[in-house]
Amino acid sequence: MKNLNILVVDDDPVTRLMLRKTLTKSGFDVDVAEDGNRAIELMSMRFYDVVLTDMMMPGGVDGIDVLAATKAKYTDTEVILITGYGSIDTAVTAMKKGASDYLQKPINIDEVLLRLARIRKMKALAKNAGDLREAMDITEKNAGETIQQLEITVAELENKLADIKEILSKRYGDADERIDMALSILG
Amino acid sequence: MIKITSDEINILSKYIKDVSGIHLDSSKAYLIETRLKNIIEETGSTSFSDLYTKAKSDVSKALERKIVDAITTNETLFFRDSGPFELLQHKILPDLIDKRSPKDLNVAPLPIRIWSAACSTGQEVYSISIVLKELLFDLSKYNIKLLGTDISDTAIAQASYGSYNKFEIERGLTRDKLQKYFVANGDYWKIKDEIRALASFKKINLLMPLNGIGKFDIIFCRNVAIYFTVEDRKTLFYKIADVLENDGYLIVGSTESLTGVCPRFEPKRHLRSIFYQLKE
Repeated sequence: MKNLNILVVDDDPVTRLMLRKTLTKSGFDVDVAEDGNRAIELMSMRFYDVVLTDMMMPGGVDGIDVLAATKAKYTDTEVILITGYGSIDTAVTAMKKGASDYLQKPINIDEVLLRLARIRKMKALAKNAGDLREAMDITEKNAGETIQQLEITVAELENKLADIKEILSKRYGDADERIDMALSILG
Repeated sequence: MIKITSDEINILSKYIKDVSGIHLDSSKAYLIETRLKNIIEETGSTSFSDLYTKAKSDVSKALERKIVDAITTNETLFFRDSGPFELLQHKILPDLIDKRSPKDLNVAPLPIRIWSAACSTGQEVYSISIVLKELLFDLSKYNIKLLGTDISDTAIAQASYGSYNKFEIERGLTRDKLQKYFVANGDYWKIKDEIRALASFKKINLLMPLNGIGKFDIIFCRNVAIYFTVEDRKTLFYKIADVLENDGYLIVGSTESLTGVCPRFEPKRHLRSIFYQLKE
């Protein structure tokens, strides 16, 4: 599976740099934005697997707004919010609005990597389920076409046989004529 | 993991058939084991017969419901297999509306009743409702009612609530239909009230008599009889024939066949799909 594309949104340049460096080193494809506005701009240009965003940011667009904008645009993007110490309530609100997880400051990089590993695993499982489903759909479609064709053919044959039976079981009329009629039904 | 013994397979498969209609023979022992594993742990049962005893003695039937939920397959999606919905939109509904509309405009239109016989979590019912809305636009001019039924209480509850997570809405729904007919609520999408209002939901075990259910113009009975024994399948389709209007339409799963199951139906083709009608 390809590496996850991650968008880091944080107004603190030190955190931004630290996350960009460590995540890139761990093999992720990382972009950074210094505030919510820039994040939304970047998202309009490309798809991100994960948006890792700070909650409190200047510029009028906070983490919750970034979350809402992401979810409105991509259902497949996972959003992780970074909240200040002791703001569990905000984190819970964010989870209710569709965030897949939250992290508390100060950021522990191992914790970030664990969360990302979990998202990667979940995405791999989802892809696997999707592949299986696609295989099932194709099989079902082919089987369906064959079965439906057979169903119609059987019904037609049953009708023909009923007609033939009726003609042949008549007790009157010329036998040869009846046989000819029966044969003509068989075509 | 607690293993199931051959005696237990017999007891459990009979019990499962009684409560859900689903026929699991001894080759499906692994299915009983894996699907009931969590309930075994949750209830602290020491064996499968212990779980069976607990389920039988639970007067609240809560355990029975859990077992039904665990055993039944809720594999469903919006617009599963496009054929039936195209059939509905281009053939069945236009034909029926024509037949059921009064010539006199002052007379109320005759009702058109549609039944989704194993609706699971509601995707089929709402797919039908969306087709109705797209075809007819002003639904108040018509008298159309949908009934969704299923054996699982949990599935019925979700169907009735009409709320779906991202994995459910991603399957089969176009972005356009999602925007038009659903309201986003966090990670969930809820069907709009106008669409929801067309349908009612009810728990029904298809192996029980269908008393009082009334007659239907269109019946969807897709991918449920495949889990029944041949005998139960026959009984079911005879009962369905009894509750289908004389000029009504039956749609079964694309890989299902009624040949040798119920001679009261005859298959008919429209473009690339087939449907069944009662023989005259």
